[in-house]
Amino acid sequence: MSTTFLRRARGAVVLGMTPVLVLAACGSEGGSGDAADDGSVRMLVNITDNLTQAKWEELVKPFEDESGIDVKIEGPSGQSVAESFPSLLAAGTAPDVIESIVPGPDTAPEVLDLTGYDWASGTPMADLYSTDGTINVVGVGMQAQSLMYYNADLFAEAGITEPPTTWDELDDALAALAAKDVATPIAFASDWATGVQVQEIWHPQQNVTTPGWQQSVADGSSTLGDQFQPVFEHVADWIEAGYTTADDVATDSGTQEANFIAGDVGIYPMGSWFSTTLAASPPDFEVGVFAPPVDDDADAPGPMGATLAFPYMVWKGTANPDGATALVEYLTTDEAAIAAQAEMDSFSREGLEPSSNEYAGMVQELSDAAPSYVVPGNQTVGDYALPVAGFNPKFTELVQGLWQGRSPADVASDLTAWYEAEKLG
Amino acid sequence: MARTTTTRRGLLSGLANGLMTLPAAAVYTGLTVVPVGYAVYYSFTQYNGIPSQAPTWVGWENYARIIADPIGDLRPAAWVTLVIAVVGAFLVNGAALGIAMLLRRTTAFNTFARAVMFYPHVLSALIVGFLWQAILGPQGALNNLLEHAGRSTLPFLADPDWALVTLVGVIVWAQFGVQLVLYLAGLQAVSPELQEAARLDGANGPQVFRHVTWPALAPTVTVTIVTSILSLLKVYDVVLGLTNGGPGDATQTWAYEILAVSFANNKVGLACAQAVLLVVVAGILSFTIIALRRRAEEGAEAVG
Repeated sequence: MSTTFLRRARGAVVLGMTPVLVLAACGSEGGSGDAADDGSVRMLVNITDNLTQAKWEELVKPFEDESGIDVKIEGPSGQSVAESFPSLLAAGTAPDVIESIVPGPDTAPEVLDLTGYDWASGTPMADLYSTDGTINVVGVGMQAQSLMYYNADLFAEAGITEPPTTWDELDDALAALAAKDVATPIAFASDWATGVQVQEIWHPQQNVTTPGWQQSVADGSSTLGDQFQPVFEHVADWIEAGYTTADDVATDSGTQEANFIAGDVGIYPMGSWFSTTLAASPPDFEVGVFAPPVDDDADAPGPMGATLAFPYMVWKGTANPDGATALVEYLTTDEAAIAAQAEMDSFSREGLEPSSNEYAGMVQELSDAAPSYVVPGNQTVGDYALPVAGFNPKFTELVQGLWQGRSPADVASDLTAWYEAEKLG
Repeated sequence: MARTTTTRRGLLSGLANGLMTLPAAAVYTGLTVVPVGYAVYYSFTQYNGIPSQAPTWVGWENYARIIADPIGDLRPAAWVTLVIAVVGAFLVNGAALGIAMLLRRTTAFNTFARAVMFYPHVLSALIVGFLWQAILGPQGALNNLLEHAGRSTLPFLADPDWALVTLVGVIVWAQFGVQLVLYLAGLQAVSPELQEAARLDGANGPQVFRHVTWPALAPTVTVTIVTSILSLLKVYDVVLGLTNGGPGDATQTWAYEILAVSFANNKVGLACAQAVLLVVVAGILSFTIIALRRRAEEGAEAVG
């Protein structure tokens, strides 16, 4: 390798690679192509083990046969639908219908207002997901978030006769499980799951203490840190007692679910979708589900944290608004389509036939017993949306600090500081 | 008359050369200069990347935000990136040079070993991250072995300090293959006669390396240092696969902040300002290293 060659290579490196750093991060301005105008409808959907391409195509087949409209199912081009939709908007190739996400502050202006369609107001949770009466996302049911799955056999061995309903009882139950050498009395998981789980276990008491807490934070009568410091203190106590360790927040949710199914975990906070996983791989022990605790037994069960199941929205720039809205109407109102979606990924809905999945049945019972449904903090649309983007990733990042020895007060203070710096408007 | 003809020939030749560079210049301008220009422009705007919502000019606001760092997330990312760039570049080059010295002679085994050493670089960085997560995670292969051997497990990815060290180690493992190839090429260019002459003069192995091989490698060292630092400054995929920035923000790099935080929250203006700053830092570092290495390269020319 000659010196001259190396010098040229060095020059090429400096001239060529440096701008590429920017290219990697900041692409050029997207095109402005129009949507396809061939009468078909493109639908961007979430693809998972439960929600496969084949199942989606089977779901829309009756609509295609009835309407003559060709529905093209597309999986996300990026890591998720949430990441793909803004990219597709920027590229001018947004799909006509978008499933699995709700509008955010940036994407809401790009989404069709469905308020004028009579069927839209009758869809589940339309009230919680509307902003000043405006509906731009509709769904088929409710996915319960505030759920604590437990190993009933381990509970029995530890002498716990009834699932806890108050925080004191939950602390006692965890102590009893630990005394019986249960490997993980309560399991949390890494990435998005840490933040979601901590919020899930706090929804009931948080909404008992401050109904509509997001609005209190938004109007300045409360802070985000004040809202969550109590649950941070509970979690910090559990970490100190060894009920959950730093390994938990470095272990992905799939592995923690497998740990629960293997019988190594006493309690696993997770949303209703975990019931589908349990049904697919039934453990050889009895599983129970209880609602997260409240401070005072008289308030039990508290409000149920819930999100919209199978949320659909229509892109405002669609070349086929009639076809796109007809498809969404079919998916959210046709009884056979709703039942098919319930088979794909379980959810609760008034009047829906009880699921053959016994775990989903238990979730349904808890949902029915809840005095009300409340939306979580990462809700980005509706009257209960926090005026801030990126809540759950930041919440997760900060809350994981508890497992690294940070104090609840410091974590709460950082959460408030983040909100103050990031709030919109 | 002859002078006029020569001048005309020179002009035509220059014109022809200019025309021949046009395609390359057009491609470079279209694919590099224009996007970079857009990035610089967006860095002075508040923009969410959605074409129907026009960017709003905010001047230096994004840069002021980065400097003020009101929520204290950018400075830790800058520190993590610095650690990866400095420690990683040192280790990548040390490992690559050391192994290149061992594999410099062309034998059947060395050819096979070179392919094996280069292989990690062929893998996608994302896959490298997931692969090592499966090995080093709390319930990964290594901790399972430790547990079965009756030893306590190690927090490779669970403790913030361990996670950063693990990340640097995995990045070094994944990246040193390219530097190894460069060092092998550089070593082939070192004059065997000079090395032989040094040995005849009584120099031992380390002395031959110190006084002949190392000075002759100076241009290669410059290239490998600059390429490794530039590559390490923009580490993203391995982070995503291995730790996803955690635990907490312990392994969030600057590129992770740009791509997984700012872009993910549709803050294209802020992300572009962060990217522009990264380019500026990369440029300053590159030219500083090149300037510092100039003297060593002059020595190499003397040796060559």
